[in-house]
Amino acid sequence: MTLIASEVEIEGPDPLARARSGDGDAFAELLAEHESMVYSLAYHFFNDRERAADIAQDVFLQLYRSLRDIDSHSHLVHWLRQVTTRRCIDQLRRRKGLRAVPIDEVEHLATPCGDPTLGRALRQLVATLPESQRLVVTLRYQEGLGPEEISRVAGMRLNTVKSHLHRALRSLRRMLEER
Amino acid sequence: MNLDEELKLALRRKEPPPRFRDRVLAATKQRPRKIWRPLAAAALLTLVIGGTTARYVEQRREGERAKEQVLLALRITSQKLHDTREHIHELSK
Repeated sequence: MTLIASEVEIEGPDPLARARSGDGDAFAELLAEHESMVYSLAYHFFNDRERAADIAQDVFLQLYRSLRDIDSHSHLVHWLRQVTTRRCIDQLRRRKGLRAVPIDEVEHLATPCGDPTLGRALRQLVATLPESQRLVVTLRYQEGLGPEEISRVAGMRLNTVKSHLHRALRSLRRMLEER
Repeated sequence: MNLDEELKLALRRKEPPPRFRDRVLAATKQRPRKIWRPLAAAALLTLVIGGTTARYVEQRREGERAKEQVLLALRITSQKLHDTREHIHELSK
């Protein structure tokens, strides 16, 4: 039964293979499947919807041109996470003005109506972390990746990932206590 | 408070803005045309520069040939003058 199930899965419609051969509908399927992952990585990195949408669009256009280099679904997911995180860091470095938001500004933003939710406050606090910590925290908690996978996606050493994660959580706890 | 759980909730995936998919799909259709424009401009520029350079090289070559012919004519004339002067000199002895 397992063999039959896996054969059916292999022979079934594969959007990646169809997209590689120029099928526009198949590319739209890939887009629908992965858009929230790509958009959210950029959104949680910048805490800015418009910038996240621009980055996500660029990532999918790059994917469209690179489909021939993608050989499996797991490769596609890894590729999308890697390209998105690189683009976020590149854009942050290119535009020096996009530094981490100072905590004073965040506290002000987090209490616009005197009724802040913890989720919103946390997202804004994450936006104050240094870029590497922000990246690691986003990949860990949005994508649920372990340190080894984060190190492959972000191109960091395993110990560096663990250290960034530890420091980020310590900073977030401290900032929450100070609020 | 469990920070791990709160972060998972706070950073869960979100949907992109409405029409995001349409925007990306429209851009994938526009891209190739935009790529051809600079390529066509570059090809045209290469042709113009190449043609101008080839004409300049050809003109320079023609100039060199004319210069060589003039120098040869001058050498022949000079030799003739030298021979004539020698001849006159011998006759006057």
